[in-house]
Amino acid sequence: MNNSNADIERRQRFDRLVSVWHQDMYRYAAWLSRDPAIAEDVVQEALLRAWKSLDALREEEAAKQWVLTIVRRENARHFERKRLETVDIDNLTASQSAMLAETADTDLDDVREAIYKLEDDYREPLVLQVLMGHSTKEIAELMGIKPGAVLTRLHRARNKLKVEIGEGAAS
Amino acid sequence: MNAAGKDMNCEEYKEAIAADPSESFDGGPLHSAECSSCSALKAEMRALDVKIAAALEIEVPELTMPELPAISDKGKVVDLSTRRPVRWTTPAWFGLAASVVLATVIGVRFVNTDVDHGTLAQQVVAHLDYEPKALTVTDKAVSDERLYSVVRPAIATLDRDFGLISYAMSCEINGREVPHLVIQGEKGPVTILLMPHEMIDMPIQLDGQSIKGVILPVGDGSIAIIGERGEAIDQVKSKVLDNVKWSI
Repeated sequence: MNNSNADIERRQRFDRLVSVWHQDMYRYAAWLSRDPAIAEDVVQEALLRAWKSLDALREEEAAKQWVLTIVRRENARHFERKRLETVDIDNLTASQSAMLAETADTDLDDVREAIYKLEDDYREPLVLQVLMGHSTKEIAELMGIKPGAVLTRLHRARNKLKVEIGEGAAS
Repeated sequence: MNAAGKDMNCEEYKEAIAADPSESFDGGPLHSAECSSCSALKAEMRALDVKIAAALEIEVPELTMPELPAISDKGKVVDLSTRRPVRWTTPAWFGLAASVVLATVIGVRFVNTDVDHGTLAQQVVAHLDYEPKALTVTDKAVSDERLYSVVRPAIATLDRDFGLISYAMSCEINGREVPHLVIQGEKGPVTILLMPHEMIDMPIQLDGQSIKGVILPVGDGSIAIIGERGEAIDQVKSKVLDNVKWSI
């Protein structure tokens, strides 16, 4: 295969990857950063890094975990660079508020705000399990923690949400 | 959580179902089939998850593809051809009693890297040149005091459980303080660099004429482990990963 064919195939492979996983990348970045504007920056950086590292992705089955790992690292880099302060729910920027924009469904709005308020340690595994469909093992690998710790965080996250939205805790 | 094959009690079930409403844990379906209150709790948790899923599905803006740079072959595999080629025989270097230096050997290839990773890998390998005395074959361990002054609690916590640590020094990689440790492996000294600030996406294999190693992504940082060819790097790797925890 000559260079130009290889380049075209590489680009096609990348485009396929992006078309499949872009939504998950953005939503993961948004829930990590709790700021749509930051999420867009993080996704841009993550796409660039994924493009440069594409040859390291050997198995397409591993693509989702791979792109989410890149998003996670880019998000951490972003916050390290900017040294942003903790989000104050009562004093959000316009961009942060956009994530909590009211819809016609007040129940949905309440749950979204409750998730937004969760500590990072609880919000992230919940996003990975419920939205991304990750197993406990996959979440543990991505977050660099033990499966037992993932389960504890998920249990606490749901109980906190239940309390926050007025349904009481499970145990 | 319960072990496979054992009956769950209600308390265990309540904890487990709140962590995993899909009820994929051992003993779950059996318990909820026989316990109406736990079965109701399962339905409640699943209903909550439906709400959570809907709330998480925020609107996604249209994709704006960044400008993608051309990828050269050089960008895919960084080859340090400028390094001096060195002849090296394993028994000779292992037999030397002191001041055995590994670094000048190298001629290393960094596999599966992009240019940024290559830069990190180059710095890691180049660092070996700066401290040749680190690579001494010895049975003398550094003191606890020395070790904990280098691996400070603010950087990482470390159990001494991964071999005889013969060298500990605070060094610098990419302008950041990095604990540089050497343990005595089966084939000789093994260098370990704890780099809590150097994030990488994938492991970077270091493949040299006389050395073999890897830079592993660990949490938000990375750890380089480099030893003589034939060294049981995988064993060292799992011991290091079991015993080092970032504080940063």
